[in-house]
Amino acid sequence: MTLTNLDARIKLLMLVAVSSVALLVQRPLTLAAVLFLTLILLLLGGVDHFKVWRQTRAMISIIAGIFLIQCVFCRDGLPLITIGNMTLITTGGFQMAIIVALRLLIIVSSALIVLTGDLRDYLLALRWCRLPYEIVYMTLAALRFIPLLRDEATSINSAMQMRGYDFKSVKWKQRIKQYMAMMLPVTASALHRAVQMSIAMETRAFRCMPNRSQWRSLKFAHRDIIYVLIFFALLIAILLLLK
Amino acid sequence: MIEINNITYTYANNHLPAIAEFCAVFNKGEIAAVTGKNGCGKTTLSKLITGILRPSSGCILIDGENITGMSLFNIGQRIGYIWQNPNRQLFCPTVAEEIGFGLRNKGLTEANIMVETYRYLEMFRLSAKKEAHPLLLSLGEKQRLALAAVLSLGAPYLLLDEPTVGLDVRCRRLLGTELRKLAEQQNCGVIVISHEQDFVRRFCAREVVM
Ligand SMILES: Nc1ncnc2c1ncn2[C@@H]1O[C@H](COP(=O)(O)OP(=O)(O)OP(=O)(O)O)[C@@H](O)[C@H]1O
Ligand SMILES: [Mg+2]
Repeated sequence: MTLTNLDARIKLLMLVAVSSVALLVQRPLTLAAVLFLTLILLLLGGVDHFKVWRQTRAMISIIAGIFLIQCVFCRDGLPLITIGNMTLITTGGFQMAIIVALRLLIIVSSALIVLTGDLRDYLLALRWCRLPYEIVYMTLAALRFIPLLRDEATSINSAMQMRGYDFKSVKWKQRIKQYMAMMLPVTASALHRAVQMSIAMETRAFRCMPNRSQWRSLKFAHRDIIYVLIFFALLIAILLLLK
Repeated sequence: MIEINNITYTYANNHLPAIAEFCAVFNKGEIAAVTGKNGCGKTTLSKLITGILRPSSGCILIDGENITGMSLFNIGQRIGYIWQNPNRQLFCPTVAEEIGFGLRNKGLTEANIMVETYRYLEMFRLSAKKEAHPLLLSLGEKQRLALAAVLSLGAPYLLLDEPTVGLDVRCRRLLGTELRKLAEQQNCGVIVISHEQDFVRRFCAREVVM
């Protein structure tokens, strides 16, 4: 079955479980197995591979950078690579680097599982956990704002360039100043829009009633239950067998 | 001359193209109107001409030069562009500075910047507001400020996305005569996207229907 159709609550639960395992477990082998499990889920879940690659490309280079830093700066254990009489990498450092990199990879790939769903479903899932609807709705609104703000910043940036501001030719100090100047209208319009939106919502009777009905609803299907049981069985098996 | 050859553009999250295999030519010294119903892709076209969006296929030539690969800065030297939403192009702390921004980038002397700024403040009747924050102006005032800021740069082409929205009758007429003057006296090529039939009939030599 595809991940897209999986119940949002289950995906959130999987995210929490996998990332807490990633943070609590110390053994590289166990971590590798957990990473393998999440990758298998992604591969079998009908996720668009190219899209995944595009979303994670930047992350992977960051993780590689962190790996190198860990390697070089963690100095426990025996020398592994030496140049002359200077130890470059130690076994402890290498192990630590592997653990950190695996953890980050697990967190990124479990986040990818969550990205397969609709944002609204996750908010319904939070609502299901008895969070007040005002908070849930506001989270949705805030998340919806982000792309709008980005849009606005890009169009102001384009407007500046079209009016003869050449970002390439000015010195970086000037450039930072100009970026700061750009943030002001973007923030101002965000605040303005937030105020307007809250007024508009109240004129349409938001918060008038203690409860708010939902158009979408979440329902557990049998296959969701089977899926989650298999997943947790595998996860626990990994933890027990590779202890 | 701005030549648009067979351009197609599809937004990332859409299936159907917003604009498909579109061709048009806009001349210097002429005010041309682009009209069409809501959502037919007029704003998309204007963003493609100014290089803010890049076409999925086809090409756009300005005076024979292909704009693919040209930076926004370089395109901005050739085309002055008014966004449909004036909030999206006002970013300076005061009205006067907003007009001065582009003039300063052109490397004018302070004295000349002052003169030009005042000329355009007068022309678009914004003198009383010159110290106000651009985002606190009324819609029509913002629109006038955006026009002043872009027209003051004297680019050889102008592309205005619904410039008449929010303007009162007098300002609309003023804009029309100003554009006509630019086209006739300075051989400027003007493209106006508009729903305003009166304005189009009165000031535009040609109408391109999308
Ligand atoms: N950023 C965007 N992302 C996705 N789709 C978009 C985006 N901007 C516009 N569209 C879609 O592209 C189509 C053309 O939009 P465009 O803004 O070019 O129309 P328009 O002709 O300028 O309309 P109007 O007369 O209302 O200004 C519309 O169907 C719109 O939904
Ligand atoms: Mg439009």
